[in-house]
Amino acid sequence: MNTNLKISNVTKIYPGCVANDDVSLEFNSGKIYALLGENGAGKSTLVKILSGVVIPDEGKIYLNKNILKLNSPSDAKKNDIGMVFQHFNLFETLSVFENLIIDSDEQRENLKEKIDTIMKKYNFSVDLDVPVLNLSAGQKQKVEIIRCLIRSPKVLIMDEPTSVLTEQETSELFLSLKKFSEEGILIIYITHKLKEVMQLCDEVAVMRRGKLVSVSQINNENIESLANKMVGQDLKKIKKKKENTSSEQLIKITNLNFTSEDPFETNLVDINFSLNRGECLGIAGISGNGQSELFQVLSGEIISNKNSIEFNKNFIGDLNPQERREYLMAFSPEDRLEQAAIPQMAIFENVALNNFKSSNFFNNGLINESKIKEHSKKIISEFNVNTDNIDLKSQFLSGGNLQKLIIGRELITSPDLLICFNPTWGLDVGAINYIHETLIKINEQNKSIILISTDTDELLKLSDKISVIHRGKLSKIMNAEDVTSEKLGILMGGGN
Amino acid sequence: MIKIVKRDQPSKAIFFFTPVLAIFLTLIAGGIIFYILGFKPFEALKFFFIVPIADKYGFSELLLKATPLCLIAIGLSFCFKSNNWNIGAEGQLTFGAIVSGGVALLFYDQEGFYILPMVILAGAIGGMIYASIPAILKTYFNTNEILVSLMLVYVSKLILDYLVVGPWSNPEGFNFPETRQFSDSARLPLLFEGLRIHAGIFLALAAVVISWFVFYKTYLGFQMKVSGFSLKTAKYAGYKGKKMIILVFLISGACAGLAGVGEITGPIGQLHREVSPDYGFTAIIVAFLGRLHPVGIIFASLVVAITYLGAETAQIFMQIPKYTGQVFQGMILFFLLASDYLLFFKFKFIGTKK
Repeated sequence: MNTNLKISNVTKIYPGCVANDDVSLEFNSGKIYALLGENGAGKSTLVKILSGVVIPDEGKIYLNKNILKLNSPSDAKKNDIGMVFQHFNLFETLSVFENLIIDSDEQRENLKEKIDTIMKKYNFSVDLDVPVLNLSAGQKQKVEIIRCLIRSPKVLIMDEPTSVLTEQETSELFLSLKKFSEEGILIIYITHKLKEVMQLCDEVAVMRRGKLVSVSQINNENIESLANKMVGQDLKKIKKKKENTSSEQLIKITNLNFTSEDPFETNLVDINFSLNRGECLGIAGISGNGQSELFQVLSGEIISNKNSIEFNKNFIGDLNPQERREYLMAFSPEDRLEQAAIPQMAIFENVALNNFKSSNFFNNGLINESKIKEHSKKIISEFNVNTDNIDLKSQFLSGGNLQKLIIGRELITSPDLLICFNPTWGLDVGAINYIHETLIKINEQNKSIILISTDTDELLKLSDKISVIHRGKLSKIMNAEDVTSEKLGILMGGGN
Repeated sequence: MIKIVKRDQPSKAIFFFTPVLAIFLTLIAGGIIFYILGFKPFEALKFFFIVPIADKYGFSELLLKATPLCLIAIGLSFCFKSNNWNIGAEGQLTFGAIVSGGVALLFYDQEGFYILPMVILAGAIGGMIYASIPAILKTYFNTNEILVSLMLVYVSKLILDYLVVGPWSNPEGFNFPETRQFSDSARLPLLFEGLRIHAGIFLALAAVVISWFVFYKTYLGFQMKVSGFSLKTAKYAGYKGKKMIILVFLISGACAGLAGVGEITGPIGQLHREVSPDYGFTAIIVAFLGRLHPVGIIFASLVVAITYLGAETAQIFMQIPKYTGQVFQGMILFFLLASDYLLFFKFKFIGTKK
């Protein structure tokens, strides 16, 4: 049977932002639809409307010509709309089976049979009796999908499903999705990854700033055309110039270990690497494999053995971040709003967080506000932060501008080494480009970068050397030219 | 049609306007309550807010009540501005009073210039010791400071109770639950003959100036601010975030302890069961009404002090229960929180669509 889902003139306004502006779309079963857009383009709001989490201010939704009243997530379930969210909604300590039956009122035995049939049909192999916390991200996602399939949905919505998956898991997922589509399930795939759209989908709808900008057949599009539609401007292509980097060693990590008391943190095991001046070392991995701990150990938030970190011929393993800055290191953490900056404080106050002694922000324990402000103005103009008001609270900066401010704050003291962790996470394409250009530029100035990132494309674009972190262990360091994303994917999944 | 729109940036004017609006709304709501209770609203409000401070004695009483409120609120502002929810100032006040009272009792039959400084210092230290308990538990054992600081209030009150009826009770006091009178050298001097206002007010004013300077002008204040917003950021910047948390608790405990000193060495001159009519709790309202800003806190402490006096006057002259004072304090906080909505949102009048 054919399924037809129609969104008609949907508008949703939040205080200060129009999340969906008069969006109309039509979907038919048998095809896979991509909903493409940058962060904040309004995809998620639209999806939340379809799954009953958010109620639109205006507009209607029709399923097979019947008006749908979606006032809660259970309404969506009743109307055969299944949804797999980006963040899993599973009970970690319950078994897979318990998770699957938890929101169903059917008999246990019937469900067991149903689940077995589904697993056989789609070739899913998940052990039903183990607790969910022992599963990999890919398996958890399968559990979520099975949970939807039990209700034999007509529509299946996937919200950025690949953000936590390896390449291999991604291609498995795509095979399954294609199969579902052949079975007549209407699939809507939300993403901002262009490559996936090209690989998987038949039709693509692009959103920008709450508006639908285009709907087209995938055959008529390519990655560049989609990117331009998504961003609304033509993008420059950037490519790193390969030059002979110097052979002077800048930092050397020897037998670095970190054992955490927190069961949710990852232990680091025997980390060894070294990096020369002017080089960029990329560290790939699926999130949660020890990247955050590695960043903290390198930045000095976690103190380690003095001799385990040699920087510029000094042993600095036991120094805190402020002391390490004096040796010309700089850090850009992953979490912009909770760590790298304080949203409730003014821009210039955030600048003062990088308190480099020679910048004289604080004299004899007193704040030297004019000095800080002068310094802030310099950062804003040199790093294209789009504001001229340094008294503005930094929460009013967009993600991209805030990241420029943070990178600027770290780089304006011209450090020898910048350690950054997911520097472009959640940014729009324009800001990503700017950050990438900046990172390439500092490499060209013979300064080094350690780039910890979960974005494989970014790593391949910027790194000279690449290593993969898996369960707190670092793989051997490879030259970036010899690495492909497939190879990285295997290493990220723990293979060889 | 009226639409509610998010402000791009909270307006500075609104920031100081909302406390005034809250007080205004409290007066209106108070009038309505009086009316429902069968009193003439304007007359009742007059007895509540104007009569008590109409003469010299009343004004001195106002300053007397405002002093501890201001002092405690200044201390609390350090905690609250750095997101540490110390709501146990009442306990820190009580414990400060116990320690300073203990020192004063040691010298009950002696005179000397050195006694008062020791008594004052003991009060501050007592408050600090008591505030350090929730601080240390929070930083090293991840406990919730709200619960710990609150529960310790009752502990301190029971300790005080035990002391004044037991070991410290006045041997010549006919078993009244109170200690001996302190010697004159352990008392904060009165400022004017016949009025109860005492030198404690200078402690409060000094706290105002010092807190303003520390918080807005020093690196230490900056670090406290950062640590309060985010320990992760503090760690990243290389500050000792945990020490900062303990420090703000100590400051706030010291201020509450000093308020306790003022209460027992000022007008009363001895320890007894009730050293404070919940100043430690009311000061939370004062701190927020004053926008956690030193100058704002001065004004807020005066406004809230009136509710204490007004409740008494209204009880005497109109037989309105004294507890209406607390109703007013509650209403001020309620309306303040409600009108804070205006900080982030504004009303926009627009024509209907279509």
